[in-house]
Amino acid sequence: MRKILLAAAGLALGGAALIGLLASGALERSVVSRAVETPLGADQIQALAPRGAAVAAAADCYACHTARGGAPWAGGMPFETPFGTIHATNISPSPEGIGGWSRAEFHRALRDGIAPGGRHLYPAMPYTAYRGMTEGDVDALYAYLITREKMPVANRPNGLAFPFDQRWTLSAWNLLHLPAAVAVPDPTRSDLWNRGRYVAEALGHCGECHTPRNLMQGLRGEAALTGAVIEGLEAPDITPAGLARMGFAPASLARFMGTGLSAQGGATHQMFEVVHYSTRHMARADLAAMAAYLFDRDAPGPEMDPAVPAAAPAPTPLAAAVSGRARASYDGLCAGCHGAQGEGIPHVSVALRTNAGLRTASPASVVRAVLAGLPAQTFPGGERMEAMPGFAADLDDAALADLTNWMRTEWGGQASTLSPQDMAAIRAAITPRHAARD
Amino acid sequence: MTTPIQDQALSLTVNGVPVGPMPVPRGTSMQEFLHEWLGLTGARMGCGQGICNACTVMVEEDGKVPREMRTCITGAHWFEGRRVRTVEGHAREEADGSLTLSPVQTAFVEAFAFQCGYCTPGFVTAATVLIQRLKAAPVPRDAVEAVVTEALDHHICRCTGYVRYHTAVRDLVLATPGLVTA
Repeated sequence: MRKILLAAAGLALGGAALIGLLASGALERSVVSRAVETPLGADQIQALAPRGAAVAAAADCYACHTARGGAPWAGGMPFETPFGTIHATNISPSPEGIGGWSRAEFHRALRDGIAPGGRHLYPAMPYTAYRGMTEGDVDALYAYLITREKMPVANRPNGLAFPFDQRWTLSAWNLLHLPAAVAVPDPTRSDLWNRGRYVAEALGHCGECHTPRNLMQGLRGEAALTGAVIEGLEAPDITPAGLARMGFAPASLARFMGTGLSAQGGATHQMFEVVHYSTRHMARADLAAMAAYLFDRDAPGPEMDPAVPAAAPAPTPLAAAVSGRARASYDGLCAGCHGAQGEGIPHVSVALRTNAGLRTASPASVVRAVLAGLPAQTFPGGERMEAMPGFAADLDDAALADLTNWMRTEWGGQASTLSPQDMAAIRAAITPRHAARD
Repeated sequence: MTTPIQDQALSLTVNGVPVGPMPVPRGTSMQEFLHEWLGLTGARMGCGQGICNACTVMVEEDGKVPREMRTCITGAHWFEGRRVRTVEGHAREEADGSLTLSPVQTAFVEAFAFQCGYCTPGFVTAATVLIQRLKAAPVPRDAVEAVVTEALDHHICRCTGYVRYHTAVRDLVLATPGLVTA
């Protein structure tokens, strides 16, 4: 008994010591060098700001740090996490934002996840990815943000339950999930591949959505980029095999990231915002590098002739009764815009015959679009896709399962045996926020 | 890409009159069927992409509020066995052969709501669906403005007669007993 008591006391003491150690920040490992303690001069800031605009676009800062309909860079965008709601913060140079931040403080927030005053950032802010950014790029980003218009907008409080509202606990999370060192260029790979890795991993933080997470919401490194579920939708597998499954090649992937459109369909849901706020504004060379890296190639892929239609996968078999019922639904509700053969209408509706959404592991993206519709979307070069109406009232779960199974086998080349219950689950996950105005 | 024309029998009820069964090629749009088979040209071809809503008709179901459907993007065979009301079916034919316009149609005429009239069938459909909806589920008086906007919002009028359409529908809602609470 005495031994047990002693052991318990020892554990408690050890636990208290660990908590104390964590809270003290002694276990934090900074990658920020002393060089950035020297403030940037006004001329340096002015010279760096244009490059910072490009860094901000590639790092997709705006999409999260500007609420829809809100002031630019003033934060307020809500993020639903398993632990509660987190709001992106004001990063304009106002007192509520980063107005009082020094160059070094900005570096530590971006790369160590620690804001001025030792306040830990929540990892919804992808500092684990930004940790790999170069000091030059972080300086440029600082110069760009600090020269934006000041937005006097107060930060919205987070809605996190105990103990997740205790920011110091994140030092434990960081101990497990924040890499001690940052990736250095791999001398055995080409400059293109290395640049692509930097763009995709450090700036673009693709893995934040496309890599599955563990119970503590840390990225599972062993499953990097193999796809994950975000807000009920699949961020698909973007490993070379996953990209090939969707019908992408390096050149078509780079074009898709630059334009949001391809034979594989249009960027929808969260990926539309990525294209809209980030990738369409990126340099073509960076898009080509990112595509090369994601396909794990040292050289760019062959250019593609846009006049050659993309190959559609071979259909897989499906019971005639199912395809008959599905075809009736399709002819009635879908063919008017997507064409009798799934060919789509330029500038109006995407092709389905070669659509990546029918080839991904999860049907949720397509099914949600069918049920809730999609808003009209604008793309570079005056391109647009018209709004898609939602058909929740027109298709019951059985008809929807038939339609989805048929499209996924006929045009996606997948084996698909989705049940009405599968459809009901996707239907139930749709909130008014997803319903498109058409 | 060409596929051989394949007829499929179609029966439905249009403006209270049973139609068919008659052979109609698969893939025919409802709008084409109304125009070319039935001679009902009121559901207008505007954009052909489901955006302008000049082509909408009402789909009626027992015990339910009617729904708007766009006929330019919906296949004729989707309406198999259903009851459809086009703009030609809103006015009531009297014993002496004269027509009495529906309350919505009357409101539009009195408010000079339309100029060229091309979009009007869609607005008549949307407003009538709204009136039916409010009969089933009245809304507070101060919500009427927004409810009317929401109901007409997806209809496009190139003469920009929106304000008069809106005023006509709002006044009709407020003047019709039972559509507004308190």
